[in-house]
Amino acid sequence: MTRPRVAVALLLVAVGCQKPVKPGDPLPQLSKTERDRFNRGKVVFDSVFTPETGLGPLFNATGCGECHEDPAGGRGDEVEVHATAFHSPFCDPLAQEGGPVIQQHTTPALKQALGIDQEPFPPSATARAMRTSPVIFGRGLLDLVPDSVLLAYADPGDRNHDGVRGRPNRSLDGRIGRFGRKAFVPTLREFNAGAFAAEMSVTNPQQPTEEDIGGKPIPAGVDPAADPEITQEALDLTDDFVRFLAPPTPLKVGKDGRRGRDLFSRIGCATCHIPTLRTGDSPVPALRYRTFAAYTDLLLHDMGAELADICLGLATPADFRTEPLLDLRGAEHFLHDGRATTLEQAIELHGGEGAGARDRFKALPPADRAALVAFLKSL
Amino acid sequence: MRREIRTAALTAILLVPLITSAPADWRALNSAQPAASYTYRGTIRAVNARTGTLELITGVGMSLRVVRMTTAPTTQLVAAGGAPRLADLKPGDVVRTECRRTPTGLVADRIEKLAVSTP
Repeated sequence: MTRPRVAVALLLVAVGCQKPVKPGDPLPQLSKTERDRFNRGKVVFDSVFTPETGLGPLFNATGCGECHEDPAGGRGDEVEVHATAFHSPFCDPLAQEGGPVIQQHTTPALKQALGIDQEPFPPSATARAMRTSPVIFGRGLLDLVPDSVLLAYADPGDRNHDGVRGRPNRSLDGRIGRFGRKAFVPTLREFNAGAFAAEMSVTNPQQPTEEDIGGKPIPAGVDPAADPEITQEALDLTDDFVRFLAPPTPLKVGKDGRRGRDLFSRIGCATCHIPTLRTGDSPVPALRYRTFAAYTDLLLHDMGAELADICLGLATPADFRTEPLLDLRGAEHFLHDGRATTLEQAIELHGGEGAGARDRFKALPPADRAALVAFLKSL
Repeated sequence: MRREIRTAALTAILLVPLITSAPADWRALNSAQPAASYTYRGTIRAVNARTGTLELITGVGMSLRVVRMTTAPTTQLVAAGGAPRLADLKPGDVVRTECRRTPTGLVADRIEKLAVSTP
């Protein structure tokens, strides 16, 4: 055996011997300092807020871990309500009426002051959407995929005539979005800071003001904690915890799973669910220039009238970001609102730009359909 | 040395009446702290050219807020293709504004319409 062959063989053995990453694990290559920040961030992530420590007065959850649990960073069984107003082509996210996230709970003080036990549904809304809590594994890697890569996958004019027209969403200030079911938020840092404010009404240095209640200021005396209610350090630690959560290692697949993986590409699923992406530069070596299983292009696609709900940014009601297929094996509900209880249902509910792949899936013999689903269950 | 002191004293004597007789608002303007300035980037929600008002949606992540501001005759409007009028702006446009806080609210000193490609 020549020296290069020995090196390749040793590398393969090393990769093969690597301990599989379980859901909730940190990235394996983190430094001691980064691992320490991951652990300290998990403490903030798992903490429960009270009105005295910043919760509310409107909120969906008392802590990050309430919706991203089992393990930390995983799915929860909560479903929240979003609303916007679509006046084509402009999408109004209803910021003047409290924003697109409609909080479902109030603190006792707010309930006593206004007699409400949830945020009033905005009268100007033209649509309501239900949203399940996504897994947040591997988000630090998705954050670092260069915009140029996403733009290279975009095909708004369908130049190749395959019926798939991916396009990026844009944030309020014009940057390319990638996080959230409508790809409205450009960075993980902003998504996390926004989640503290939108889900728990915990103000922070990035969002230091409380949300109005239906466009009216919060009554005096119902929000005892001074703004900002958490420090930049607590926000940074939480951000590092989420950023360093590793994507779980896919399970080893048998012959059926391997055939399913080939079919996944052959029938066109992989046109939008791009199997691997590569990160750009980062000060964190564990995130820098990494190729990882993503199964997304982070672009918007028209998914048809059946799934359409709210607009957001440039996303029309029917547009959704290609969902990254991470930790599917742990999922019990599928699609943005959890309406599908099996992977077969989720595929069959694809419309619009996904209709071609859906129809090819439906036309497969039962054994091939089962093989494709077996592959998806390995993710 | 004695000559320099005499010159300084004479200058002070000549200038004091000028300063003390200056209009009160002139002195107020010069003694006031410069107004704090704010920069916002966001999407226009509403614009009213008649009243000179502008509503901007800003925020972080999914936590969004509305910022309201007025324009003044001195407000500078700029865009890549030239100098638009306030009436040329419309909901959905992305802008960067430089404002200052006044007793009546935010006043825009500069509004720049940003070019955002929308494939």
